[in-house]
Amino acid sequence: MWQQAKQALVDATARFLSRLASLLPGLVALVLALLVSVLLAWILARIVKRLLTSLRFDERLGQWGFASLAEWSPRNSPTILISRSLAGLVIVGGFLIGVAAFDFEWSYLFVESIFVYVPNVLAAFLVLLGGNIIARFLARSVLIGAVNLNLQYARFLSIGVKWLVIVLAVAMALEHLRIAPGTVQLAFGILFGGIVLSLALAVGLGSKEFVTKSLELDAKKVSTDPRATKLVEEDPLRHL
Amino acid sequence: METDTTQQQVQESIDSADLVVSILAEFDSDSIAKVYESLRGLPGSLRIAVMENDQRESPAPATSEAAEKRASAETAQKNAAVFHVSSPSTKPEGSTARVPRTSAAYQSVFAMAEKLQARGCCIVASKLETITPGWIWQLAQPLLEGEADLVLPRYARRKFEGLLNNGIIAPLMRALYGKRVNNPMGPDCAISQRLIQTMLESMASRNDNRRHPLASLTSTALCENLQVTEVHFGARIYPPADWTGMSSVLADILSPVFLDMERNAACWQRTRVSAAVRAIGEPRNVAEDTAVPDTRRMIESLQLGNRELQEIWGLVLPPSTLFDLRKLAVLPVEQFRMSDELWVRIVYDFALAHRLRTISRDHLLRSMTPLYLGWVASYAHDLKVSGAASPEQRLERLSLAYEASKSYLVSRWRWPDRFNP
Repeated sequence: MWQQAKQALVDATARFLSRLASLLPGLVALVLALLVSVLLAWILARIVKRLLTSLRFDERLGQWGFASLAEWSPRNSPTILISRSLAGLVIVGGFLIGVAAFDFEWSYLFVESIFVYVPNVLAAFLVLLGGNIIARFLARSVLIGAVNLNLQYARFLSIGVKWLVIVLAVAMALEHLRIAPGTVQLAFGILFGGIVLSLALAVGLGSKEFVTKSLELDAKKVSTDPRATKLVEEDPLRHL
Repeated sequence: METDTTQQQVQESIDSADLVVSILAEFDSDSIAKVYESLRGLPGSLRIAVMENDQRESPAPATSEAAEKRASAETAQKNAAVFHVSSPSTKPEGSTARVPRTSAAYQSVFAMAEKLQARGCCIVASKLETITPGWIWQLAQPLLEGEADLVLPRYARRKFEGLLNNGIIAPLMRALYGKRVNNPMGPDCAISQRLIQTMLESMASRNDNRRHPLASLTSTALCENLQVTEVHFGARIYPPADWTGMSSVLADILSPVFLDMERNAACWQRTRVSAAVRAIGEPRNVAEDTAVPDTRRMIESLQLGNRELQEIWGLVLPPSTLFDLRKLAVLPVEQFRMSDELWVRIVYDFALAHRLRTISRDHLLRSMTPLYLGWVASYAHDLKVSGAASPEQRLERLSLAYEASKSYLVSRWRWPDRFNP
């Protein structure tokens, strides 16, 4: 009886040790992959940081209308944000290579599912980036146009347009990432509709006087009333 | 149909002309008939090809009387040295903007003058208040007598007319190229064969479709050391101010000027002082307007711009200029004055930002509108004050400010990052 128990314990220990021994190369490979990837990430981050600094990337980004990116960046520097993001990607890549070194079925499935999801992440990132660029461009166009029309709520109008496009882009990105699609659609509908309604109310109420004046002026232009023609003629300024 | 066939036959038989006259202004049929008559009455045995505005969007309907006059004029053409020619189609596809249309029209005139090996061309693009029979000849004469390569008009001006030209284009060109030209962008002008060839070659070699011939004419002539002459005319009829489309006007006009400035940087950086150009004729007097412009809305526009466009102006203007603008925006209407130095630096900084593409060029130029309106308001205030300087003296002072600040432009142009006061 004692002999049998002893034998079972020895067998179990042997099996555990042999399993552990079979796991060790994978663990070593994971540690090595992580070490190499950290080293590569550090080198890459240094190169990218130097390159972007020499190109005055932070300054140019502000000129291109992405000044707010600095607020989200460590030490207010988008250069550091980008170099660290690239380094992070390299380390994640190294980790996945290390995981794949384990000769188990679950590790293959894990790595495969990650790689299948990568295109969705990239597409979502591109949609967000594109949406951000378009939002900022349109916001600036609306702001300048509204200021030139002497609209006092120019800033509000510009922010409204910017958030409309950003909300649309975020909803599209989440759709790509397949994160709670039903909830996203519903939330998007409510948010988008809310923004449009608030803009329509604000602009409609705010520009009531402006629209009335424009319509009156148009009516005067159309009519043959000589006083209306005189109104236009009385302005002595000629620019062209 | 019959008239079309006749015209085609006439055009086919024309292979050369001394002068190409292009009428781009929207004249009625009576005025066009008068132009034909006055051209036929010119001295010498000149062969003159006349191009009418084929790109006019909605030609004025001819009355029966006008149509008769026109027909008689066309019949008379067969025995006279004045011919009608159709302009080659250079209209850009789908383009509806005013400036590309004008640009295409000028290019088609150049092409026709080149084709007919004319000694020059004469472009009539605006209406004058009083049209004298010989005014086209006044433009063309210095050209045909070999005394000039570019003849530009010097219109009799009222104090609030041609503000964009007086406030930006003319003094900027004067400071850049060192010649005191009053209307560097015409639009009426006469151009010699030599200048036409230079323009065509330059446009072809650079394959630059964005180049506006009207914006490049004066600068090209001055950089090539060609002869520029001015002719005194009466007052021009200006279109009324379009307040809602002001930013588009500013962007359409200034973009080709700034582009041209970029192309000719090597030329204008050498020039330091300005000199007058030869002027023909006597200055004409015109009755001044009694109406007073409403400057309140223009000042409000500057104040709104100062409040809302700081993030854009901050990318273009140095901190000292932004500080001055902030001070200006809080002044009461009656004390509102923008100094010439401030305005000149603003124009130079926008030209530089246009070159550096600091932001989208269209956004850049449109965001300049409140600043321009601020200058107009300040200019109007200066002239409204009793005992104030005459418009000529006021504009001369502005032009001198442009010249005085040229070193600022040159420094910023050469070292945009290092030199930022």
